[in-house]
Amino acid sequence: MSEEVRKPRPAPDPASAKYKLNMIAKQAYDDVAEAKKRGELIGWCASNFPVEIPETLGLHVCYPENQAAGIAARGGGERMCSIAEGMGYSNDICAYARISLAYASGAEAEEQPMPLPDYVLCCSNICSCMIKWYENLSRELQIPMIMIDIPFNPDYEVSDAETAYIRNQFLDAIAQLEKITGKKWSWDRYQEVMEISGRTSRAWLAATAMARYVPSPFNGFDLLNHMAVMVTARGKPEAAEAMETLLKEYEENHNKGISTYRGEEQHRIMFEGIACWPWLRVTSRGLRDRGINMVTTIYADAFGFIYEDFDGMCRAYAKVPNAINLEYARDKRIRLCQDNHVEGLLVHTNRSCKLWSGFMNEMSRQIGAACEIPVVSFDGDQADPRNFSEAQYDTRVQGLTEIMQSRKEA
Amino acid sequence: MISDVLAKMQAAAENPQALKERYLAEGRKIVLTAPVYTPAEIIHSMGLVPMGAWGGDTQLNAAKKYYPAFLCAIIQSITELGMRGVYDGVSAILVPSLCDSLKVLGENWKYAVPEIPFIPMTYPQNRKPEYALDFTVAGYRRVIRDLEQITGSSFSEERLKESMALYNEHNALMRQVSAELAAHPEITAAERSAIFKSAWFLCREEHCGLCRELLDELKNSSAGTEKKIPVAVTGILADAPGLLKILDENGLQIVADDVAAESRQYRTDSVIGEDALYSLARKFSARNCCSVLYDPEKKRVEALVKTAKAAGARGVLMILTKFCDPEEFDYPLIRRACTAAGLPFVSIETDRQMENHEQAATIIETFRDMMED
Repeated sequence: MSEEVRKPRPAPDPASAKYKLNMIAKQAYDDVAEAKKRGELIGWCASNFPVEIPETLGLHVCYPENQAAGIAARGGGERMCSIAEGMGYSNDICAYARISLAYASGAEAEEQPMPLPDYVLCCSNICSCMIKWYENLSRELQIPMIMIDIPFNPDYEVSDAETAYIRNQFLDAIAQLEKITGKKWSWDRYQEVMEISGRTSRAWLAATAMARYVPSPFNGFDLLNHMAVMVTARGKPEAAEAMETLLKEYEENHNKGISTYRGEEQHRIMFEGIACWPWLRVTSRGLRDRGINMVTTIYADAFGFIYEDFDGMCRAYAKVPNAINLEYARDKRIRLCQDNHVEGLLVHTNRSCKLWSGFMNEMSRQIGAACEIPVVSFDGDQADPRNFSEAQYDTRVQGLTEIMQSRKEA
Repeated sequence: MISDVLAKMQAAAENPQALKERYLAEGRKIVLTAPVYTPAEIIHSMGLVPMGAWGGDTQLNAAKKYYPAFLCAIIQSITELGMRGVYDGVSAILVPSLCDSLKVLGENWKYAVPEIPFIPMTYPQNRKPEYALDFTVAGYRRVIRDLEQITGSSFSEERLKESMALYNEHNALMRQVSAELAAHPEITAAERSAIFKSAWFLCREEHCGLCRELLDELKNSSAGTEKKIPVAVTGILADAPGLLKILDENGLQIVADDVAAESRQYRTDSVIGEDALYSLARKFSARNCCSVLYDPEKKRVEALVKTAKAAGARGVLMILTKFCDPEEFDYPLIRRACTAAGLPFVSIETDRQMENHEQAATIIETFRDMMED
């Protein structure tokens, strides 16, 4: 494929959702850096750690997964991974973890700097690998680790026993953080955060559900950029406002018959897995050049945290992707495919993520059969550029396109 | 004769299939237990035979339908053997979700080997607080419920206490065997491995008997005069015949281990109280120093150095299972701690399909030279 000619972009509109969302993400890093300068204790936080806890306590935290994705997207992934490998970490380990451990050891990353933590907040609902990564951060930096263990649930429903186990850990984590930081928990404040988080989540779910329209009023790659705010800032009023703006824009797009997807939407697919951040442009272009819009991902569903009370919150965090069994994970995706008129499934077999990729072969076969859509996978990595082949990606996407096209013609 | 006892253990270690057939012919029901920790005492107490399933040294073909290449060969080979019918006749497989790969094993198993039911055991990683015991017990109750439904066997607290007492006795015997072996360089690494491996396949009662016999004979026999270099071994598995042969050829004697399939199993006893299930939960809660158990202080690293030194090891060998995240995260810290403690350290990466051991041989020769200096 020919090289893309990049046109100068117009100045962003400060009233746009995109601008607001980008500012929230940027502001988060600035706020933490400022807090650190003021001498406040700051934390590093796992992406699926209940954001309600630091938000209610008024803590400043930043997100190593977000940082690693940013570093990888801006070209620093291989450099940081290599530094970690020089420290003895196998190149089989999650690339986010390698980048983070390299950064924690003092390696510089101009692509996305952030201050070193005074404590770490880990939650195992994303993977067990996260526990090992944060153990090493805690040990190497000699700082406390607060760990909320939300085990992988082999059943469809969250049991009362699991809810109780999670609830007790939440309360323990709050007590530990009060002790470490000197900040006090307020149930009134928690109520506010819960309501804001619900408002943000409802707007996000409504915005992503706009993909049910054909053509979709947005390019699915937008979701990959916006989800960072859902993960890290759901409990902030500005996030709720920005998501409501996003919803409004998508509604307007639909009413006007326009989309953030440039070109004609000829095919609609679901993208499965974490983005290949080092190759984001290549993976996006490979779809766009063939008229494919990635209309949905599991993120569309995953970050809609809507619950009524504390136990509801506990159960919500036990239902995130990677904490749920194959059948529940499959059914969520089938719903997304059906609701959004998906014609094909493109699966990223992500070398960094054993849990996500480990039962994806079987699950994607079942999704393909249930939705009667073709399924194609490619090898890649969320942050280590060495584990991706542009040629393989291109071939696989071409194959998917041809199957979708032939089905349309049949 | 030591050789007679060892021969029985080696036969069990090398041919678990024959044991499976024997148990089935006796009308007994078998439940497979996947790595790393499972409540085998519950299975035993219900009159069922727990048999370890840690995969095998085999080529992966059928399992590739389910796994990308970068998942560990232990879970892939367990699935492969299941799909090939090697486990035909067993009643169920019990899989704990202690690492990401084990979570994946359970999910794939349901579709890859549907004729053998999957029973999950969900342990809490935050296992120290009292409330975690409730969660562990809820997991046990679910295991019991599934076992009752699948096998028709029934559970009783009293029988569980008896099984826990038996497992405690076996733990003590295995600790004594391990300590005694350190004084017997004539026992090869391959023979030592068979002692531990056979425990996964033989009934506890039978293995206890063999251990007692072995201990008597070891204590009554004079140690061989062969001079070997004492080493400590750490990792998930240390049973690859080709690798053990290299250790023996290079005159290395394993005097202590921190191997998940070996001594890690036998460090922690049950304190049997009034409530059997809570007592068993406390046993899990008390486990420490293991890569698949939450360990923010990395006690495993210091414990390994201490164990190696106490046993008189002159070096530490890490047998690193390829694609094993838990061990790979611990590796840099172990390497650093051993080096700081003046213990020569090397690691060898293995998987279940290892055929060429030339690189391992070179590493072991270098290791031997480092320790002889």
